Amino acid sequence: MKIYVDGKEVIIKDNERNLLEALRNVGIEIPNLCYLSETSVYGACRLCLVEVDGKNVVTSCNLKPYEGMFVRTNTPEIYEIRKGILELLLASHNRDCTTCERNGSCKLQEYAEVFGIRKIRFANIPKDSKVDDTAPIVRDNSKCILCGDCVRVCEELQGVAAIDIAGRGFISKVVPAFEHNLADTECVYCGQCTAYCPTGALSIRNDIDKLYKALKDKNKVIIGMIAPAVRSSIQEEFKLESDIFIAGRLNAFLKMIGFSKVFEVPFGADLVAYEEAYEFIERLEENKRLPQFTSCCPAWVKYVEEFYPDYIENLSTVKSPQQALGSIIKEIYSKESGIAKEDIYLVSIMPCTAKKFEAEREEHKGVVDLVITAKELAQMIKASGIDISNLKPEVFDRPFNLYSQGGLNFGKTGGVLGTVLTVVDNKLKIKSFEEAEIEKGIRLFNIELSNGKKVKAMAVHSLGKAKKVMQNLKEGILDVDIIEVMACSFGCIGGGGQPYPNDTAKREKRAKILSEIASTNPITSPNEVPYLIELYNKYLDHPLSHKAHEILHTSYSPKRRVPEEDIEILPLPVSEEEKVRVRVCLGTSCYLKGSYNILSELIDIVRKEEWAKNIEVVGTFCTENCSNAPNILVDDILISRADINKVKEMLMDYVKRKQGVSDVS
Amino acid sequence: MKLKRNFAKVEEILKKHDYRKDNLIKILLDIQKEYRYLPEDVINYIGVALDIPPAKIYGVATFYAQFSLKPKGKYTILVCDGTACHMAGSTSLIESIKEELNISPGDVTEDLLFSLDQVGCLGACALAPVMVINEEVYGNLTPEKVKEIIKNLKEREMKNVENNK
Repeated sequence: MKIYVDGKEVIIKDNERNLLEALRNVGIEIPNLCYLSETSVYGACRLCLVEVDGKNVVTSCNLKPYEGMFVRTNTPEIYEIRKGILELLLASHNRDCTTCERNGSCKLQEYAEVFGIRKIRFANIPKDSKVDDTAPIVRDNSKCILCGDCVRVCEELQGVAAIDIAGRGFISKVVPAFEHNLADTECVYCGQCTAYCPTGALSIRNDIDKLYKALKDKNKVIIGMIAPAVRSSIQEEFKLESDIFIAGRLNAFLKMIGFSKVFEVPFGADLVAYEEAYEFIERLEENKRLPQFTSCCPAWVKYVEEFYPDYIENLSTVKSPQQALGSIIKEIYSKESGIAKEDIYLVSIMPCTAKKFEAEREEHKGVVDLVITAKELAQMIKASGIDISNLKPEVFDRPFNLYSQGGLNFGKTGGVLGTVLTVVDNKLKIKSFEEAEIEKGIRLFNIELSNGKKVKAMAVHSLGKAKKVMQNLKEGILDVDIIEVMACSFGCIGGGGQPYPNDTAKREKRAKILSEIASTNPITSPNEVPYLIELYNKYLDHPLSHKAHEILHTSYSPKRRVPEEDIEILPLPVSEEEKVRVRVCLGTSCYLKGSYNILSELIDIVRKEEWAKNIEVVGTFCTENCSNAPNILVDDILISRADINKVKEMLMDYVKRKQGVSDVS
Repeated sequence: MKLKRNFAKVEEILKKHDYRKDNLIKILLDIQKEYRYLPEDVINYIGVALDIPPAKIYGVATFYAQFSLKPKGKYTILVCDGTACHMAGSTSLIESIKEELNISPGDVTEDLLFSLDQVGCLGACALAPVMVINEEVYGNLTPEKVKEIIKNLKEREMKNVENNK
């Protein structure tokens, strides 16, 4: 298609999504604060105005290009309007830029600079200044420009919708339901909102000070470990583009500031894949708890706990690489090296915001002492004044410095699954392997083992796609044996802790860098990793052994969404001894499986039938047995997968027995 | 005091509207009629039933001035603060209610009997200053008259409680 842009003839693709993208692809980035190619178009910021056909000034983000259109992108009028919009946005913006987490990476700041905004004609009316820092993601509405990017990312890309715009007009703001703190919501801390927020309204919790405090403590031995995905992205902060030796340089830097040892999380990844492969083989043989879900991604784990509690048992019980390697360091390495466990301060360097949450979970407390994101590490390097490009890469410390290609590939979508399958191949031999892309973000692998058994595997990235897959699974139209889910699109390389910008273009580039780094590694399978085999020989016996379970496995539980007392439904004015108390679970899983119908039928029975007159019906929330929903409690007896007949039968029997006992006494 | 509620009524309302997402506003209106506000646990409940994230429902509920997320009293007192009433001393009416009930506009008493809101013109300027309690209009008010009205309502409630004993 031919169009005319600022007097020049330009050829654009016929199927461009809108004029803004078309112009971007021919080298003109129209200023914008609310446009994301990854989500629906919102058109709120009004910065992307262009003049079309010499008359109308319109937003380019929601304009479909047409043949022969005349576009002017930088007229004096447009310049004035854009400046005016920026001034108005800044008028209600908290302009404490120097102390903002996004100082230097803020889009609003950038535009204010290049549009030469030095004075604002309007009074500064600050917005709601309450800062929510209860979670690894920090919300500060005084810096919000209501572009809605976070809301669309959270709902459309991640399928979570923990936040939305509430209120109206000037007082509207982005908040979780009932303005709860993020820590009390279904937020999974994937940090994708921070990856796309153009300002400092949503940012990551900065923990650098905690690290320096630990470095000051002479009794502590600081040990670091670096995740695979960090070495694909942190270069961006130093304009080192595709430096594939960056990990070694980071190691050198960490040693300079006082780390005693720095290990490689990819080793932990191999260990996880090894253990998880055997877990998968066991489940396949027993044909239970399938499909197995990978559990490396803490945001995905929380997503299952929050939204699909009836599938918790499908999650692999193997810890994530961060927690698995952390446990090995604290439990085994400490003994081998003679450093007391309590003296180790373990710092993990991650591309991820949810890893901060994971390290703080009840199940994992005391293993990893601090999680620093790639972004924070880059800040530390910049603050040190050390030119990272000048540092000679150093080899990571033994014994956690050799690992397979797969261990590195954990940093991107398909990596976990690929490595697990490598181990399966080693044990059972894979005869044939076929890959198909179901849709963007969902890949299916049809595998035939040498024993003739067919296995279906799936790799999914972004939680929005995972939601689709879960829906299909629930409806029984999807039949697979193992599913890898990474919460962020493209996997950890697109994590919430990665440098800005963190968009699709950057993520594709990081995937390429990580592949290249992995492909230079001569070890192709966890089975070939020397220390991994030694670990099993010396300490863990064999995969899934009692010892391996103790150190490498964990468990998960439903997250109560409604922390509510029981609700009286049919209160009975008789003494506690005479009563039979029936509690019907009205939590999400049970409700969706029809617990409310059971409740109403029960009420009917109690009202009408003589034998049931001493039954008190109560509503309750979450019996923590979601996989067997709906659940009913008769006094202390749990009836799972209940239906009204089952409950009635059980109740009649129970009432009879209870009466019998009291008659005798 | 915590309102005791069961979800039978909520289910009835949901059923009436076919459990349909696009009936959300009608459902919220009915819920509000029932409880005099939109209780958090009820919103979470309908979020599950309709498969709408609670943050989204909260967004809708806060967009429309019609919806209240704070409990309203059994007696909702609306004091007019339109121009005419303001000039005729509506501020002193608010003060007298504050003294009598210890609540400010937007609040509800602990026993959930009275709630107070300051509103724009109620359209009864000839009677300024005006207040409305549960759709009954009281005009030509003075702080003393307001106190008297509230005292009477309180007494009526006391009697109700005694009669029920």
